[in-house]
Amino acid sequence: MPWWIWPIALFAVSFVIGIVAVLAGVGGGVLFVPIVGGLFPFHLDFVRGAGLMFALAGTLSAGPPLLRGGMASLRLVMPLALVGSVASFAGALVGLSLSTALLQTMLGILIIGIAFVIWYLRGADSAAVGADALAALLRLEGQFHDPAAGMTIDWRTHQTLLGLAAFGGIGFLGGVFGLGAGFANVPALNLLMAAPLKVAVGSSGLLISVINSSAAWVYIHRGALLPLIVVPSILGVMLGSRIGALLLGVTPAAMVRRLVIVVMLLAGVRALTRGLGIWT
Amino acid sequence: MDLIKSDRALRELYARWLDIATKAGFVISLVCFLLYAGRVLPAFVALEELPRYWTLPVNQFIRLTGAPSGWAWLGELGYGDGLNLLAIALLGLVTPLCYARLVPALIAERDWLQAALALAQLAVLLAAASGLVAG
Repeated sequence: MPWWIWPIALFAVSFVIGIVAVLAGVGGGVLFVPIVGGLFPFHLDFVRGAGLMFALAGTLSAGPPLLRGGMASLRLVMPLALVGSVASFAGALVGLSLSTALLQTMLGILIIGIAFVIWYLRGADSAAVGADALAALLRLEGQFHDPAAGMTIDWRTHQTLLGLAAFGGIGFLGGVFGLGAGFANVPALNLLMAAPLKVAVGSSGLLISVINSSAAWVYIHRGALLPLIVVPSILGVMLGSRIGALLLGVTPAAMVRRLVIVVMLLAGVRALTRGLGIWT
Repeated sequence: MDLIKSDRALRELYARWLDIATKAGFVISLVCFLLYAGRVLPAFVALEELPRYWTLPVNQFIRLTGAPSGWAWLGELGYGDGLNLLAIALLGLVTPLCYARLVPALIAERDWLQAALALAQLAVLLAAASGLVAG
């Protein structure tokens, strides 16, 4: 097949993933890495590098409206991102030293696991919690106006140490596999730390943009970013995310969510069979 | 200034810089890619040759093609692929740029703890970007 088919196909796939990811409320990397790793001819090293840049570009693009709408909290993001970015950097170093078969197998298991987590988990509305000492010191609190509910919500978080530990683990996995890890950020912020769901979703995007910025440099310096793979992917997701945001109000979210779970299960099984050498 | 107003001002500042830098990054990436894929600039690894190599692990890819790693790509900006790495690297610098803008604003508000966190994050991002600890 001629070389130019692949960047066009990558742009198209990334554009669609960009739309679907926004509609389903998941980070695009969790779809991009298994789909491109399973269906395109590129080595997983290059796919993971592109996956990190893909998630970075999508979240950078979505950041300004989330911040202006009060859905992303800088105060909440800063301590968590610091721990996450150190862990993500370490994860990227570890990921580039593991064998491809092992990575494919682990990726398959992880993606199938995440699909089940998305299936079972539901977001919780913000509960009124008392801030712990660390949260009070860091002033992890805020106020945001929810136009859909027509109310202003004052929020504060708790279990800060557990939250920091969770973001260390999430950042490490994201670095190893080239994922944005939004699937884990949102439950950690919402269910563990008690941030309101919309603040959790918005802050998760901002967290990914900070955390992936450190891991991306590992891939740049190791020569694992191929422009012919990375650039069409980031252009596709940047455009797709914008379209997805426009479609958000008119698309049945439950249907999209089911579609994402099915795609993730298929992509996960594909990565697993590739890793185990059953279907390469 | 109370916490809510101060947070809103900081979010607006970060959003403004993020918005400008991201849009600039998109345009720069698009232009650089068109120069590369449209063959206006020569490629360090010929476009027709890439499918033979992109199935290989990165270490083998670099050994067989002589493609740059570390900061060596800065010496290859006359090539389409080198120029595109610059565009990608600029996207990797958007967050450090926004944090760098945030630090003086936090210091001006005497929000020492958040300023220290922002400075620490900036140090981590710049250490990662420097390549000194990337191996």
